[in-house]
Formats: sequence, C-alpha cells, structure tokens
Amino acid sequence: MVENNGVELSEAEAEQYDRQIRLWGLESQKRIRSSKVLIIGLSGLGAEIAKNIILSGVKSVCLLDNEKLKETDLHSQFLAPSDKIGENRAETSLQRARALNPMVEVTAETKAVEALPDSYFGTFDVVCATGLKQEQLERINNICRDKTNKFLCGDVWGMFGYMFADLFDHEYSEEIVQHKAVKRGPDDSEKNARETVTINVKRRAIYVPLQNALSADWTKPELRSRLRRGDPSYFVMKILLRFRDEYNRNPDPAKRKSDTEILLRMRDELVKELNLPVGFVSDAILTDVFGIVAGAAAVVGGVIGQEVVKAVSQREPPHNNMFFFNPVKCVGFVELYGQ
Amino acid sequence: MVARVAGVFDEKLTEAIANSKILVVGAGGIGCEILKNLVLTGFPYIEIIDLDTIDVSNLNRQFLFHKEHVGKSKAQVAKDSALSFNPSVNIIAHHDSVISNDYGVNYFKQFNMVMNALDNRVARNHVNRMCLAANIPLIETGTAGYAGQVELIQKGQTQCYECQPKAPQKSFPGCTIRNTPSEPIHCIVWAKHLFNQLFGEEDPDQDVSPDTADPEAAGDAGASALRTEGTEAGNVERKSTRAWASETNYDPEKLFSKLFGDDIRYLLSMENLWKKRRPPTPLTWNNLPGKGNPTAQHSGLPDQRVWSMHECAQVFGDSCKALQADLKNRPEGDHLVWDKDEKSAMDFVTACANIRAHIFNIPLKSRFEIKSMAGNIIPAIATANAIVAGLAVLRAQNLLKGETRACTSVYLRPKVNHRGQLFVPEKTLTAPNPKCYVCASKPEVALACNLKQLTLKDLNAAFKDGLNMQAPDAVVEGKGLVVLSSEPGETDHNNEKTLEEIGLNDGSALVVDDFLQNYEVRVILQQKDEEKSWRLVTDPDIPMPGPKEEKPANGSNGADEPKPGPSCSKEDSDSDMEIIEEDDTGEPAPKPPKRRKVGMNNEIVDLC
Repeated sequence: MVENNGVELSEAEAEQYDRQIRLWGLESQKRIRSSKVLIIGLSGLGAEIAKNIILSGVKSVCLLDNEKLKETDLHSQFLAPSDKIGENRAETSLQRARALNPMVEVTAETKAVEALPDSYFGTFDVVCATGLKQEQLERINNICRDKTNKFLCGDVWGMFGYMFADLFDHEYSEEIVQHKAVKRGPDDSEKNARETVTINVKRRAIYVPLQNALSADWTKPELRSRLRRGDPSYFVMKILLRFRDEYNRNPDPAKRKSDTEILLRMRDELVKELNLPVGFVSDAILTDVFGIVAGAAAVVGGVIGQEVVKAVSQREPPHNNMFFFNPVKCVGFVELYGQ
Repeated sequence: MVARVAGVFDEKLTEAIANSKILVVGAGGIGCEILKNLVLTGFPYIEIIDLDTIDVSNLNRQFLFHKEHVGKSKAQVAKDSALSFNPSVNIIAHHDSVISNDYGVNYFKQFNMVMNALDNRVARNHVNRMCLAANIPLIETGTAGYAGQVELIQKGQTQCYECQPKAPQKSFPGCTIRNTPSEPIHCIVWAKHLFNQLFGEEDPDQDVSPDTADPEAAGDAGASALRTEGTEAGNVERKSTRAWASETNYDPEKLFSKLFGDDIRYLLSMENLWKKRRPPTPLTWNNLPGKGNPTAQHSGLPDQRVWSMHECAQVFGDSCKALQADLKNRPEGDHLVWDKDEKSAMDFVTACANIRAHIFNIPLKSRFEIKSMAGNIIPAIATANAIVAGLAVLRAQNLLKGETRACTSVYLRPKVNHRGQLFVPEKTLTAPNPKCYVCASKPEVALACNLKQLTLKDLNAAFKDGLNMQAPDAVVEGKGLVVLSSEPGETDHNNEKTLEEIGLNDGSALVVDDFLQNYEVRVILQQKDEEKSWRLVTDPDIPMPGPKEEKPANGSNGADEPKPGPSCSKEDSDSDMEIIEEDDTGEPAPKPPKRRKVGMNNEIVDLC
C-alpha cells in the first residue's frame, strides 16, 4: 500500500523526528511520510487523532466534518479556538492543526459524508472515522476494502471508548530481540560477551469488515466463553452505536436523566436479544458516557493514532480488530470479533 | 469547561475539580499532555514547573511547542499554549528546578495533588519526599518508547517512589574501560572520559591511560619493566592528559599517536591481559585503513553511515581543533561540558570510540547509534505520552472523588499481554515497604564501609548519591556531635578525616537529615574491611546503589534514563521514563505486569 517512494529525509525532518526514528526506524518514517490520511469527525477524539498523526509526520491529513463547533466540543477539542462557536469544526481546526507540524499538508473538507462520492474516500491510504452512524461506517469501510486501503473507526462517549480496525490484508514486519553469545578472541573461554541481535520478521494479518465484527454471533460457544472475562465493553459500544443510529445524536449531558433511561432500556433489550446474564452490563458503566472527557479522548486517540502509524509504516503488529477502553477498571484490551 | 457542564461528571467530582489546585512537575512529553487534559477538563488552578528549554527534537511530541519556540522556557510556552484552549484557567509557570528552597514543604501543601511528568531519578526522588512530607498524593508517570506507566504514591497507603531499591547499576570495571574493552559501549565510555580529560572537568576516576594496577596484569614482568622505563622517559603516564595535550597544542597527530599507538603498545606489554584475549592492534596516523577509498553507497541518514578509520582520524583532528578553540575562548579555569547535541563534542566521541573499537576488534557504530548510547537517548513518541497523560488525569479524577483505593498502578504495554490487555491495571494498591529508608515511620539504613578509609567527604557523597539528599546534616546519635553540616564551610575542616579518626566505629548510628526534603534517616555504620568505598544495605538480599553512579550508558534497550542531577540537563532531558517492561521475545508475557525497576543504567566505573 503506502510506498516508500525512495526520497531521502531532509536534515530538518531527521532532526524533528529523531526520537521516533530511533524507535521505529528510518524506513518506517519514510513510509509514514508518504501516506495520506483522512480523519472524519472533529470532536475531541478527532482532534486527538489528528494531533498524533500530524506530529508523526505523514504526507497529508484531511479533516472532514460538516458539523458546527458547539460549546460542549471545547471540553475536549483543543484544535478549535473557543471564539469560533458556530463555525465548521474542520475549518476552525485548520490553523492549529497546521501549526503542530508545518511539514504536513493539512486540509479541510466541510461536506457531509453522504454528499461525497465513493471515489473520494478511495484517494486516501487510511481513513479514520469517528462520530458516524453504523451505516455510514460500513459504507466507507467497504469502499476502503475495494481499494484495499486501511480503515479505522472509533468513538469516545464520556470516559468510555472503542476502536475498530480493518486493515484488509496487512503485511508488516515485527522486530524481535534475541540474545546471542559472541566469541571475541580465538581463545576467549572466560567470558563470552552477550550481544542482543534484532531481527525483523515479516508477518501478515487478515482482517474482517466492520459489519462482521458488529454482528458477532454470541450464541457461538467460543464467543460465549468470553463472557467469563466479565467485561461488558463490546455491549456498551453496541448500545451507544444503536443510540446514535436511533436518535441521530450521542447521549446529551443536558438530558442526562432521560437519556440514561433510554440507555438502560436499550441495554435491557440487548441483554435479552443476546441472552446475556442479567447485570452483565451494569448501570454504572452507562452513567459515564456523556460528553467527551478529555482524558479518555487522549487515551483512545493515542491508541488510534498509534494504530494508524503502525498501519502506514507496516511495522509492529497492529491490533486485530477491536480495542476497548473500560474506564471503570482503567483497562484497555484488544479482542477479535467477527471471524 | 467539562467539569462545569452539568451532566458530564457527577456533582461530587464537578465540585472537587472546581476547588482543586494541581501542581504539574515537568512540561515535557507527558507534561504537555497532562496540562492540556487538565485545562480542557476545567481544572481551575494549575502550577507547572520545568527548568528546561525547548529543543527541536521535542517537537515530534511536545505539541504545545512549535519551531518558533525553540530555546524558550518549556513551562512558560506550555502555559501560553494551554491557555488558548481555555483562557479562564489560572496557570502559573515556573521556569525553575523543583529542587530548590523556593519549593519547600509548605509550597507543596497548598496543592490537592502533584502530578509528576519527569525524566530523571533525582527529581523524582525529591518530589516523592516532598509529597510524603506534605502528605499529599503524587501521581507518578513515565514512558519509554511504546511503553509507560501511571502510579499513585500516597503516604501510608502505597509504595513510595523509593520503597523498592533500584536495580543495580550497569557497571563497567575501570580496567575494562582502560585496558580490555570488549563491547562498543566500553569504547564510548572511554571516549567520553577522554573528552573530559582533554576539554571537560578533569576527574581522576576517568583516567583513560592504561591501568597498570589491573589485577589481571599482576606479576607481569614485562609491564613493570616498561613502566619503569616510562617513568624515566618523562613520566608520560603520570602527567595529566590535559597538561600534556596542552603542551603539544592539541596536535591531532601527536594525540593520536599517544592514545591509539603508544598507549596500545603499552597495553600489549601487559602480556597477561592477552593470554585469553585477542590483543589490540596499535594504529599509525599515516597509515590508516580506508584512505583513498570512495565512500560506499549508503541509503540511510547521513549519520547512520559508519565511518572508515581514515574518516575517523579526520573527524578526530577536526573536532580536537574545534574543541580546543572553544576551550581557549573561555575564561581561565573553565571547561567544556560534553553534550550530545554539540556537533564537535559528538563528532569527537564518535571518532574516538570507533578508533578504539577498531583497535580492539570491536564492531564499529554509526554516529547515530553512538549518539543514542553516549547521550542515553530514550526513544519517545506522541501517542504513548498521550495515553499515559490521559490515564494520569483520569486517575486524578478518581482521586478527587475520594476513590484512592481504586487508583491502582496502570501499565501501558508495548504489546498486548496474553489476555489481550494493552493497559494493564494492578488489582490493588501496592502496600508500602515497612523497611523503606524513606517512607517508613522511622527510616533506617545501614552503610557498609571501611571506617579506616572512608572520609567525611566520602560520607557526604554517600548521603547525596546514595540517599539522594540535597544538603545533608549528620549528627552522631546520642552524642550530638555534628559530623556533617549543610552550612557551607562549617565542617569542611574535617573533610579529609576518616570516620575512625573522628571517633565513629562499627555500629555507630548517625542521624542524617535534609532540611529541604524534610527527611530524616538513621544511618548505622557497618565496618567492612573489604569495602573500597561505601554501600547502602536495607535488606542483605537486595542490591542497593553504590558510589559513583556515573553517566548512563547503553540506551539501546530504551529502558534507560538520563543521569539525574544538575549535570543531567545536558543529558537527554526529554525522555519521560523510569520503568518499562521489555519483551525480549516479542511474545506476550504469560505473567502479570510486574513492576520492573530498571536500573537507570548508570554505569559505575569501579576502580580495580
């Protein structure tokens, strides 16, 4: 996918990216530098993802959003100036986004996702979508599949968050450190110096589309056994995506009481539908899903940003295929769904 | 902001945030992210301290800083940038060291909590003690590469930062450095010592000439014969390297011939050393490999190309001249401080380390690699810092809600563990170590030393380096005799006296305290005839730090931390990590997250 186009890094780039080149290597940095990323949804989460990706030094980032900046955005969206309420979220974010790293080309697109043709989404190496409905996510995911491009999506509701990745057929290299004994002298019997040797192993991961992951069959024993782990994050995500699909918005802090009732009702329906143990999805976890809490946006945006870097640099194993952040226990974990 | 928007947080948390005062120590990779999260969340009062200024290599992650800010105060620019996210927040920036009389226990007491975003152990130790003394919670953070962690330190409820002694320092015997290097790092350490001998602060423990006292060379007739000769021939070995270099006007050819010719031949004469080792090969200035060879095709960064011996010698000559000129321009008695970001200083170490490596048949390294090892660079990325800072502020929210017991340590793993976990929380708080020489109710520690040899000056160093005190006062328990005073000059006249001479013996107890840290510890002396310097003992089974915690070495595993202390600001000041977990195999580790105190890598140069 992302071709390392053979262009050498400039001295300025080598200097600015020094600390990360020392981590992921020059080849990765060159691949990052030639990749084009689309970020959909400039909420606090979108801003976090944009920051991380722009700092990493990609070729270009396009910020796509047709929504207007609201006051509640300012509690997590640090790219939009606070005096620009009512203006387009992507456009108002441009100036600060560009200032993060002038070596990256940052643009804005203010059209709605529905108003853009399939071909539009195919022009990016990676599409990273937030704040969309399931149907919109699946449409873009399928366009990316056709083009064999990388697709990621995620959301933060309150303190809870998730990420999904479909990297299609992904090849990557993984660095493995081995220790080996080295003989120095011809008769160096007393002490063999141990040297660490790093080798790169080529690996491949096959992904499934979002609709498979979201329609995982919980009657299957292999999935059923996951319930023993006791983490309800997958279901919390399902409930919140359904809420968005049904009400065309996220749970609103100003309607905390009535929206909580809706959420609990949707929870009960889902529990029945999937035949989950009663109480598996606690009331407590559905109380912290209002607005976007800055700390949680930083956490989930950090994970998604890193997955985009892994996807374009083809270095280190990317998560396959869902990540959840459960704020109750402060645990973040990866599970594979839909395969 | 969020905290003030009804419905996001419950009322209790909203109110607790509205009434909070937070101190953030460090405005680097994690500090910038923490500050952003606090400001957006609506924390109304934040003070931030950092003594550092902004460098270009910070810009890949310290997102509150841009190119035009390079050279400016991190704390100040961080404040200005963060205010643009929420102008109603009150931020006070201090471009200062947190280790200062200006930030005493009463200063700390005004905050609800302290959030550490530091990069060195000395400052972490210090803030740990200040928070224990002020009895306020401390959220301690760190990252290295992809990994990181967040932990709460709360007096009486959790471990403190110093409850677990740090792993033993990676140490290289002086004779390995001076006589028998076998790894690139040995040559790099030697090259940094050489820099100091020629241009920096002269330290007798950083001698670079052959060590004739090497026990391995004992009974080496050839060497002793040659040594006598050397003495007669003008005692080149005994004269300071600086004085000699100065007399030759830092002539590169002469320096080269001595360091890489004569000294190597001298080592060869110590025949016992080479009975089981491959002997070194002296080099001659005029006949170096690689001369006239065209530069090989190279695809990486220019710094990633390994130089030929001929090129090394050229760079050696050029950097010697440049450094000499720099030294000359300074006032009499001043010296250079090695800095990986100073071109000539870095060139010099690269060239010298590689020439020495070639002589000893050790693989050569590129300038890029040597910079990592000599400058102790810890790779750092935006995402890991963002995650750790996000978790830290979520933990701060727990704490403000009174959920102290829920604030267990959380580890960000470089790869998921066998349970698929990327952020791994501990199940419970880690209880304090009752024997901790810092946070125990009556802190106590033993100091093993040879009382007949250890001087009061050494004792002072032991308290500073071993017990991480800034200005120790020591009194003999029960007698009230002041043996060390933090008042300048008060006990200096005793500096050279041994502990025995001032009447201390095996089992004597000292009450040692540091006024600034509000920290007092009882130190019991243990006579150990064989101890060459000193060693702290809490539990006989646990290794403790010894003397001369030298500059860090070997940054290759990313687990290293810059040398703490004042000179540290010149080391890699932007790494944010204390602890990491390393999966050597790259496979998920089938064990629970284990707090691994990485030995900050400070190599110790033992005298042998």
